[in-house]
Amino acid sequence: MFEDPDDRMPAVPASQLPVARETEPPQPERRVLLRSALAASMLSLLPLEMRQAAHAVDAPSVLAAELLTILDAFVDRIIPADQNGPGARAAGAAIYIDRSLGDWNAGELETLSVGLRALDALARRRFSAGFATLPDAQKDELLTVMEAGQAESFANAQQIFNRLHRLTLEGTFSDPYYGGNRNFIGWDLIGYPGAVLASTPEMQRMGHRLAPLHTSAYTLKHEHDGH
Amino acid sequence: MATKLRETDVVVIGLGGAGGVAVLPLTRGGLKVVGIEAGTWMTPADFHADEIYNNVRSLVTTGNKVSREVPTFRTSPNDVARQVARHPMMNAVGGTTIHYHAQSWRLNPWDFRIRSATLERYGAKYLPEGSTVEDWPLSYDDLEPYYDHIEYEVGVSGKAGNIKGVIDPAGNIFEGPRQREYPMPPLRSCDYLDHMDKVARSLGLHPYRGPAAINSTVYQNRAGCAYHGYCDRGGCHMRAKNSTDVSIIPKAMATKRLTVVDNAVVRRIESDNVGKVTGVTYLRGGKEFFQPARAVLLGAYTYENIRLLLLSKSRFYPDGLGNKRGQVGKHYFGHWEAQAGTSVSALFPTDLNIWYGALAQGVMVDDLADDNFDHGGLGFIGGASLHAYTEKHPIGAAAMGGFGRMSKRWGSEWKAFIKENAGRSAPAYVQTTTLPYENTWADLDPTVKDPYGDPVLRITSGPKQNEPRAAAHAAAKMIEWFKAAGAIATTGGQGGTGPVLSTHAHGGTRMGRDPNTSVVDPWGFSHDARNLGVIGGSVMGTAGARNPTQTWQALAWRTAQHLVDSWNDITA
Repeated sequence: MFEDPDDRMPAVPASQLPVARETEPPQPERRVLLRSALAASMLSLLPLEMRQAAHAVDAPSVLAAELLTILDAFVDRIIPADQNGPGARAAGAAIYIDRSLGDWNAGELETLSVGLRALDALARRRFSAGFATLPDAQKDELLTVMEAGQAESFANAQQIFNRLHRLTLEGTFSDPYYGGNRNFIGWDLIGYPGAVLASTPEMQRMGHRLAPLHTSAYTLKHEHDGH
Repeated sequence: MATKLRETDVVVIGLGGAGGVAVLPLTRGGLKVVGIEAGTWMTPADFHADEIYNNVRSLVTTGNKVSREVPTFRTSPNDVARQVARHPMMNAVGGTTIHYHAQSWRLNPWDFRIRSATLERYGAKYLPEGSTVEDWPLSYDDLEPYYDHIEYEVGVSGKAGNIKGVIDPAGNIFEGPRQREYPMPPLRSCDYLDHMDKVARSLGLHPYRGPAAINSTVYQNRAGCAYHGYCDRGGCHMRAKNSTDVSIIPKAMATKRLTVVDNAVVRRIESDNVGKVTGVTYLRGGKEFFQPARAVLLGAYTYENIRLLLLSKSRFYPDGLGNKRGQVGKHYFGHWEAQAGTSVSALFPTDLNIWYGALAQGVMVDDLADDNFDHGGLGFIGGASLHAYTEKHPIGAAAMGGFGRMSKRWGSEWKAFIKENAGRSAPAYVQTTTLPYENTWADLDPTVKDPYGDPVLRITSGPKQNEPRAAAHAAAKMIEWFKAAGAIATTGGQGGTGPVLSTHAHGGTRMGRDPNTSVVDPWGFSHDARNLGVIGGSVMGTAGARNPTQTWQALAWRTAQHLVDSWNDITA
């Protein structure tokens, strides 16, 4: 007799497991399919003001307030506000990271919390003030040291920098559903128009910057609410 | 004690790319089939135009069973193999065809007879040292009717380059002769691909639009592709991708002869004291069942095909089912294809607007693939196809891949760099002929176990010479092609070091005539257990310069049809 491991070690959180369904294949009627395809192509052509604003995912904040402040100062230096427009802070990248640490990145909460405290301790050693309160030039000096892995008493500085750098990208350029990329700041920066259910040949024409659509995947869907 | 169920004609293990095809010829042939699948049904509501969902969190591709049995990997038998972070495949009705890129090719006729073709054209010194390559026990012409079945029954979009010997340069002039045109025209083109096509022709190459198991028009009562740009690791929100759960399995269910048992984990294939298989033991809902069957088709992924045979020991098969001569796990290899270093990317001085599209929306060049050019003096055999394609996601685009080194990677300088360039990079695949070698195989790991206490599979993959040379040779042409198209920088194309775990895993239950060098016969049935068939990539002895799925499917159809046609002999 074999032991069924399903009860004791889910490979993914229960909330992400596929929902058990009847063992019958889904068989949509032809007219439903054609209608949804038509709706999809029409939706992508709607004027901007007719689209809903993206709504945010419901996930708890888990970072301590002082750590969130340090993180927010970090993302602000990775993608700063400047002549090219608002940056990662205004996009809410820190909010995205915080929420992900309360959900699918929960396993990293401890490591990254320790890392943010270590960055703050580095700031206090070198400049006698917390990281978030430093002038930009001093913040950048510390991030340069951190990126190079040359920060004293901060052994995994480079690893923490690389991970927070990657999460800053995710928070700035992901679907606004997750709390970052607010007001489509990230997508506007790089010229990604927005999520669509259907694209036209004109949307694949080379040699020009496409007009923003400001659409989240989760305002396009009609058949279900998020996931 | 397992609950014994009523006997069926055939059990198919796994309803993915291979098993999800085999059920149709079986049920049309009048056989009663029980399909046992570790995953369950998915619907368009499970799929999102969302890079976090698909690519960062891998929520479509995460399978519960496969993630509990991830193989270990090492590059030398002197090393301890380490378990890899995640398995590249998924469990679902439809399997990995749900989230694959759906590029759907026939192999070149040369792929079926690499050994003899090399001896004829170049001599024995061109056979790579340490390779165990054999000719396939069937020819391209033998498989052609089954390729045709797949193209019409699964649904493949494309443009023929060779219909009964008549060459059409709008298609692939290097392909083998086919009996008729594809059932649908190629996927929609776009500005960038038209540009790449034109430049390739100016270089004397022969570009064509890659075939895809994606509807380009309404086909089989389902809509055509909408090119929304989230095909990679995502399922199709409008059922335009022809995964087997929407293309084939419903047709088999309509015969009323297929029973789908989902969320069920097959633990063993059982055999009797004369070596015939008697059925399978599986777990579902915490209970154990024995499903008796007159014949079994094993159609899990390559890794689990090998593992399940090795685990299914009996008095008759002390070293694993169908492993009387120690061939199970031998001749395993991962496809040399899209890994870092093998692929090529280019940066252009203009916005490409390939955000939308699909990975299978691409332009392909075969001039440097297979034996389509003279290898004399080059020091390798085979080659690679070159595939320029669309679909970019914003986080990946902003990360800039290898081009990130052109700038400091944070601050205002970097922000200005990505603002200008995130939409200007383009990728290309360099998919390479891959051969089996003595230094590369799969067996059971001596220490790492799955939650049932069974060993996971262990991959040992030694270094290769032929594959990186063939890949780098073709990649040089990809770089030339990109530069002629206006690219200001390229990365990759060095040949690479090959895959760890592979989404194109091949071999391990090789098909062949000689039981001393193969596991299944030329029809896909065990040399030892005559009523056990094996389907999927594990039967393939070589990998071509292109995605393998359509060949797996054609072989699966052929094996299933043979079971119908030879039922009395096989089950006697």
